[in-house]
Amino acid sequence: MKRWSRRLRHLAVGVLDLPQDVVLEVPRITMIGQLQMYIENHRGVLHFSEKELRLLLTNGQLIVRGEQLVIRAILPEEVLLEGKIGGVKFVEKS
Amino acid sequence: MRNLMREWYEGHITVTIRGKRFERLVNLAVREGIHIWNISRSGSGQGQFDILIRDYYRLRPLLRETGCKSHVTSRGGFPFWLIRIRRRAGFAVGAFLFLFGMYMLSTFVWTIEVQGTVRLTPGQVEQVAEKVGIKQGAWKVKLKEPQILQKEMTALLPEASWIGVHIEGTKVTIQVVEKEVQEPAKQLGPRHLIAKKKAVIHRVEAEAGKSMVQVNQFVDKGQVLISGVIGNDTRQGLVAAKGKVEGEVWYVSNVSVPLNRKSSHLTGQKQDLFYLVVGSYAVQLWPLQTIPFEKYEASETRVQLGYSQYSLPVGWKKVSLYEQEDRSKSLTQEEAIALGKQFARQDILSKAGKEAVIKDEKVLHVKTENGKVYLSIHYAVIEDIALEQPIVALPPAPGQNTSDKAN
Repeated sequence: MKRWSRRLRHLAVGVLDLPQDVVLEVPRITMIGQLQMYIENHRGVLHFSEKELRLLLTNGQLIVRGEQLVIRAILPEEVLLEGKIGGVKFVEKS
Repeated sequence: MRNLMREWYEGHITVTIRGKRFERLVNLAVREGIHIWNISRSGSGQGQFDILIRDYYRLRPLLRETGCKSHVTSRGGFPFWLIRIRRRAGFAVGAFLFLFGMYMLSTFVWTIEVQGTVRLTPGQVEQVAEKVGIKQGAWKVKLKEPQILQKEMTALLPEASWIGVHIEGTKVTIQVVEKEVQEPAKQLGPRHLIAKKKAVIHRVEAEAGKSMVQVNQFVDKGQVLISGVIGNDTRQGLVAAKGKVEGEVWYVSNVSVPLNRKSSHLTGQKQDLFYLVVGSYAVQLWPLQTIPFEKYEASETRVQLGYSQYSLPVGWKKVSLYEQEDRSKSLTQEEAIALGKQFARQDILSKAGKEAVIKDEKVLHVKTENGKVYLSIHYAVIEDIALEQPIVALPPAPGQNTSDKAN
């Protein structure tokens, strides 16, 4: 059943030309240089410190490393992060 | 995402949280729909964020659930600002009174400007304006609409055909358009029209009075042309004689025209000299080399700084030299005669008056002597020869009154 649903979604992206983030439930990330980062479609904050933000995704985690990180705003599905961003890393759900 | 206006209006606080489950608290708050922003961590067991005052009370159960402790570190926004103002009541009242005072002062009329008066004085217009309420210090709220004021003022000022009232801020502009009043006709006393010069009558047009002369009649200077006495011997009346009498007048004009004429022209060459003036001495500063002009016209401008009658002894002046050139021109006799006639004509017309017309021109005599042409020309000019002469009041003839009654 789950395999069928995934196949249907991929088909919708290909045939109907829908944006992938809407259909596939993956995050959409917008970055402005090192300064700002806007993440949509997250599922909650796992860990937050000055140097690291760990967000829960539908299939795994997103790790943002940097310095002097500040969450400027947060909504149930969106995060606006500011600071000096060093790296972004995806961790697949095992 | 953030609504700064709302944050300021509702008031916000910065909360420092102590506790291990900070992330859990943030997640719960977001899920509850509590608006938090500027989240940062300053250590493993410590974090802070901004929150609306209203939401702070909704945060409390979540704090209990996660075992965190909160501490308010700073406050901002309108509610806190109000509290601060309450502490400085005098200042706040002063500021409010100042604004209110400014507003109140701007609701009065402070200046009145009257435009467009010609015969009326601005003072008269201002008096009328005061009657309808426009005066210095009048409260604008109590004034009627400009349209109505306009109508009232026009009714009160019969000399004006239209009055515009325009209120702009604290200034009232009154635009007056005055009625055109026709000048009353001048009352003329009884008079004759007499001849100014010896002449032959060319045309007589009597509007009032009795014409005493006929066309082609010769008149002497001072002769009555149109009489102010009308009626016959038994019934007489006096009027101001009015009319137009044109006569042919003869003039002889003697002109001399030199055959060689010299005139000087400016060549357009110009140079400026700058001098330093010290006391009564002037030292030329610039240019170092002057172009020698054979003949020139000089104009000088002097600059000497000073205050009222005191002036500095040091100043400067600029002298502009314009080069001149002499040109001589020799005329033939025909040209000289033509030029002489032209001069003579101008001379005659200036003697005979504006409306004069030259009827005939005859060169009587031409003589060339000593490089000059002497001309004598005879002109017959048609011009207005009428001159007004008042009739000195005579004691009325004994029969006149009775004859008037009989009339």
